[in-house]
Amino acid sequence: MHISTDIWTWVAVILTFGIFSFLWKDNPFYKFCEHLFVGVSVGYTIALTWYNSVYPDLITPLFRQGKPLYVIPFLLGLCYFFRFIPKASWLVRIPMGFVLGWASGVAIPAFFQTNVIKQIQGTLLSPALFARWDVFLWALISFIGVICSVLYFFFSREHKGALKVAAETGIVFLMIGFGASFGYTVMARMSLLIGRFQFLLRDWLGVIR
Amino acid sequence: MGFWERLLKIDRKIIFIVMAVLVLFPLLKPLGLGVGSGPRAKAVFDAVDSIPPGKTLLISVDFDPASMPELYPMLVALMRHAFARDVRVLLCGLWITGAGLADKAVTEIAPEYGKEYGRDVVYLGWKAGVDAVILGMGENIKNVFSVDYYGHPLDSLPMMQEVTRLRDIPFMVAISAGTPGFSDWLLYGHSRYGLRVGAGVTAVSAADAYPYLQTGQLTGLLAGMKGAAEYEVLVQRHNYSKAYMPAVAAMDSQSLAHIVILVLVVIGNIAFFVTRKRGR
Repeated sequence: MHISTDIWTWVAVILTFGIFSFLWKDNPFYKFCEHLFVGVSVGYTIALTWYNSVYPDLITPLFRQGKPLYVIPFLLGLCYFFRFIPKASWLVRIPMGFVLGWASGVAIPAFFQTNVIKQIQGTLLSPALFARWDVFLWALISFIGVICSVLYFFFSREHKGALKVAAETGIVFLMIGFGASFGYTVMARMSLLIGRFQFLLRDWLGVIR
Repeated sequence: MGFWERLLKIDRKIIFIVMAVLVLFPLLKPLGLGVGSGPRAKAVFDAVDSIPPGKTLLISVDFDPASMPELYPMLVALMRHAFARDVRVLLCGLWITGAGLADKAVTEIAPEYGKEYGRDVVYLGWKAGVDAVILGMGENIKNVFSVDYYGHPLDSLPMMQEVTRLRDIPFMVAISAGTPGFSDWLLYGHSRYGLRVGAGVTAVSAADAYPYLQTGQLTGLLAGMKGAAEYEVLVQRHNYSKAYMPAVAAMDSQSLAHIVILVLVVIGNIAFFVTRKRGR
């Protein structure tokens, strides 16, 4: 055993136990750790945003290098703060409109290409899939799954007859999907617990590599 | 109150204690259950392995300390793999809270292989505006990152003379804990600039990544701690590293915890149906 003498390791250990204490019941120590986490995260984010984005990309070019075009993003950014002045709060719509318009224009074609066209192509049964029986089988299952899952969300007609069969098959596929997600979620949560235990055993107590 | 009723009302703290003991035990006394390597991790490995020496692997560090146990081992294993093959590594990030993690990896891993900052590895840091950052990098990286994370002008870094835009990068891995992450690199980097993208994701978001894998938009996938362990195994099997493998070491605990959860789910369901039948 080789217990750490680093003060920051001890701080992390105390905070870890503070968060773990919630497993017993809610308590002031847990609340303190939770609030500290939120405060530190916000402070860190503000500082990093200033030094990595606002200062080098706006303050320096505008005020140090004297580039006049940068006055436009500067004024648009300032408009956000008018939200705190009720009489002038309408000014916030200008930068929001700019951001929404720009982002939509950029995102919609890319989103359509990536998430609609490519996904439809991936679902189609193309001749290449018939080359191997196992590839074809999985492609067929995927194809049936997509069609039936979409039909489950088709509410314009009552689910009767063939539509009912397809919709109920869709539920089976959805349940398998939810089960896979839940299984992965369990693995993720366990990984976080293991990570904390590795920290305690390795960095703090020094009993493992 | 019968046996099954008592079982359904068991104090959850007992389950927590059982889980803690079963997770701790294999960390102290490894069981050696072993980890294989799946086709999805192998696809990422092969893609990195096919990058010619002297070319650049881009790694986007899109996670925060909360996802460190799952994703940091991926970052380290990828960097070791690249450095061992004399592939240069360019890092950037879309998550502000991940900025320090990439810095930690650069300062710890590069010296292991005698790699020099600026010549073999560069960390660009974080910038606001996800889509604008990726699109800007597609045109000219220097337009987005005039200086790197440490304040060096990009013009002063020899590596950045040859890597000017995304088309100069043969392969990238987005290590993401959510959004923004690999989906944004696919949206803008892959669809617009043809960038080949691999992903390392938390287990929670792995199910969301599979559709992109099936369509071939993602070259490969490292899913959760298991994906990290698979990559560590591949890197060691090819003699690229002999370092300690934290994700592999954690897999025994992971397996035991999963067995306990499976048993609890089965017992819980039996108890539920038995007590419901009695209630009728």
